[in-house]
Amino acid sequence: MPVSEVSRLLKRAEQYVKQTKYKEALVLYDHAIRLEPRNPECWSQRAGAKIEMERFTEAVADCDQALALNPNHADAWSRKALALSQVGQYAPALAAATRATTLNANDAVGWYVKGICLEETGKSDEAEIAYAKSLELEILLDIKAEKDKVRR
Amino acid sequence: MKTNMPLTKPIRRFIAETERMLDTEVTLLRKPEAPPGGTLIDIYSYNLDKNIIIFPANYIGLLKDFVIAKQCTHLLVKGAAAKTGGYRVLSYNADSVYTGMRQVYLDALKDEAKKEKKLPVNKLIDMLFIMFRQFHEDINDLPWNPVVNARIYHRMEQLRKTQLYILLKDGKQDMDEMMDMMEIIPRRYFVLDKSMFYARDLYLAKTLPADRLMPVVNIPQMKKFDHLEVKEMLTTRWTHTAWYQSKVFGDNMLTIMEKHLAVDWGAEPSLEYYASLYKVGVNLTNALLAYMTMKDWFIWEKPQHLLAAEQAAPSYEKAALKKIFGDLIEES
Repeated sequence: MPVSEVSRLLKRAEQYVKQTKYKEALVLYDHAIRLEPRNPECWSQRAGAKIEMERFTEAVADCDQALALNPNHADAWSRKALALSQVGQYAPALAAATRATTLNANDAVGWYVKGICLEETGKSDEAEIAYAKSLELEILLDIKAEKDKVRR
Repeated sequence: MKTNMPLTKPIRRFIAETERMLDTEVTLLRKPEAPPGGTLIDIYSYNLDKNIIIFPANYIGLLKDFVIAKQCTHLLVKGAAAKTGGYRVLSYNADSVYTGMRQVYLDALKDEAKKEKKLPVNKLIDMLFIMFRQFHEDINDLPWNPVVNARIYHRMEQLRKTQLYILLKDGKQDMDEMMDMMEIIPRRYFVLDKSMFYARDLYLAKTLPADRLMPVVNIPQMKKFDHLEVKEMLTTRWTHTAWYQSKVFGDNMLTIMEKHLAVDWGAEPSLEYYASLYKVGVNLTNALLAYMTMKDWFIWEKPQHLLAAEQAAPSYEKAALKKIFGDLIEES
């Protein structure tokens, strides 16, 4: 029973996030976690909402929960990288971003955060490569978004 | 700066520099419905206490950074002009609206005389103010575009590939705009509007060296542009259109742009420098308006004047129609 209920909750929460209604989203994520505490997706998505609310330390903790349940959860690594970079912890953020982009080479945010971390740790040449990769992916996403818009 | 999103070091520095130079605050906002080029809502143009840069929610990396760089540069230009006491915007009043709409009407009559399929009178009447507004919007925006882009190109090297993509995208969008109105609006205005964008594209293609602006070759959708110079690409795009006239007028406008935009784009940032860029933009606007014989359509005024004019626009339109058509307007 809870599986479909959790999926529904996550979907609704995602809509709230898109509408920048983070508090409402958080209530649904909390509920989803209560129903399925061993579902890494719930923890990872709640981390995403907490990043938007600038609760970066809590977001890292949620990502760690997700990663304890599934060490190969690409989104959790990506969000962890993002949250850590926002609090200036560039070295662990770089490690997380590297893991995220290894697990999912099409993670535009992951590459971008990796670029920021590399830049901040003085590796400008490597940063440029990460930024280029991020830009490629971002442009592809943008082209797709434009096509969808025209279709609509 | 108020933001919870990741930003590259140069962008963070640039925002901090903008805030310091103008003694103001910049807030960044992500909105799903924001236009691709983003929006700047600034304290110099609106009655606000902080500046807001809004960009599309799907811009997550360097595309976002470029939009921020562009809007921040524009903010600096406006802010520097305001701080040195000379910030004015292109506004309008009842007289200037009448002048503009009357001119559009006279040109429309000339066009209509040659047309087999005439435009219904009510559509023709509606079109007069729409054309006026269209040119007001475009001339308020277009001259600043090459100013801002040239400055970013010379000061923020790491954004050049992103800039190329955005320029291609902007160019295509501006070229496609008004296409559905091609047969409706007077040819002269279609051509002039397209010419402005053509001149901007060509100016940027010449000013932003092609070798440094090579497209992002790893993107399959952009492969066709590989080994093609930006200049060649943009020229080809324009000469293959049905409206070759736009190119002829556009070449003249390009000459005007080149004359007015002879600027040291890489100069060290200072209030004086950005104030000088504002003057460059104003002079270019005036030159383009003179070329298009639209000098009397608009007036340089304080931003509050434009805000009031926007409120009064429907009454200006009504009064102008009354003056042009007299009592006929009530009957139709």
